[in-house]
Amino acid sequence: MQTPRNGIEERYARQVGVPGWGAEGQQRLAAAHVFVAGAGGLGCAASLYLAAAGVGRLTVCDADRVEASNLNRQVLYTPQDIGHEKASIAAGRLGALNPSIEVAPVVAEIDERTACGLVGDAGLILDCLDNPATRFALNRCSVATGIPMVYAAVSDLTGHVSFLRPPATPCLECFVPRTPPPAEPAVPGVTAGLVGAIEAMEAIKFLTGIGETLAGRLLVIEGAEPRFDVIAIAKNPGCAACGKPGKTD
Amino acid sequence: MVIYLRSGGRLRERLRPDVDQYTRRVEVGGSPTLREILSAMDIPLALVAFGFSDGKVRRLDYRPGDGEVITLQPPVAGG
Repeated sequence: MQTPRNGIEERYARQVGVPGWGAEGQQRLAAAHVFVAGAGGLGCAASLYLAAAGVGRLTVCDADRVEASNLNRQVLYTPQDIGHEKASIAAGRLGALNPSIEVAPVVAEIDERTACGLVGDAGLILDCLDNPATRFALNRCSVATGIPMVYAAVSDLTGHVSFLRPPATPCLECFVPRTPPPAEPAVPGVTAGLVGAIEAMEAIKFLTGIGETLAGRLLVIEGAEPRFDVIAIAKNPGCAACGKPGKTD
Repeated sequence: MVIYLRSGGRLRERLRPDVDQYTRRVEVGGSPTLREILSAMDIPLALVAFGFSDGKVRRLDYRPGDGEVITLQPPVAGG
């Protein structure tokens, strides 16, 4: 007969065998609290894999409601969810996927004033946002608190991912210009799904301690070719967020 | 000198590749910055976030060397 305990062990049996993961890594995941900023294309994909992997506490933050135009990429929602709060629907679905974890929905706008309060006691931030201004606000919180942040962004068939842990690594403002994109980007579900899954992998590596994160490096995915490049990113001494203003490299 | 600019994304249309599907050969005089090269090609700077070559980010004030291949990245901000 299956008991709840050995049911949980069986649930994770196919991942604890990854070298370096084991029961200890699984316990680290269970003890972790991850703040998922944005429950859109990236957030749906990343949070699905974090929930399935057994991350003990997820906070899913998004102020928006589900729209029909979200359904090509935001795979936690169905047409019946249109008009409902994304964070609440996402939390419900993730909790159903893995009842042994806690998923807290937060319906709120992230900005420079609110970011750190919303992140709270999370040990890791996942940037699953869809605009530069909010990303920069979250980055400022990561710089101020020292909470590491997995950065990701997508457009067309292109994706970027990095693991930011200032002051040890560059922060977002060190290498992403503040220039806004000229138009609302196209975001196919496959791009968001692929990049969101890589964000989850970065989170799992950091939380379990296995492998190497993308700290100090940027993964550039060009799906059209296809091509994956990993490039070094350097701190900008004059960075307005984490550097000494006035200095340049 | 000659440099090569490449892009696989939306920028490719503006780049008008002539070496292969993704790469444009550009002859430049002196040692211009990436910004100056793109401006001379009438590529709006708002369409380029940064470039990279040899595994490193190259900002728009970077001066490419002869024969260097720079991969251009558009602003990527969606989620």
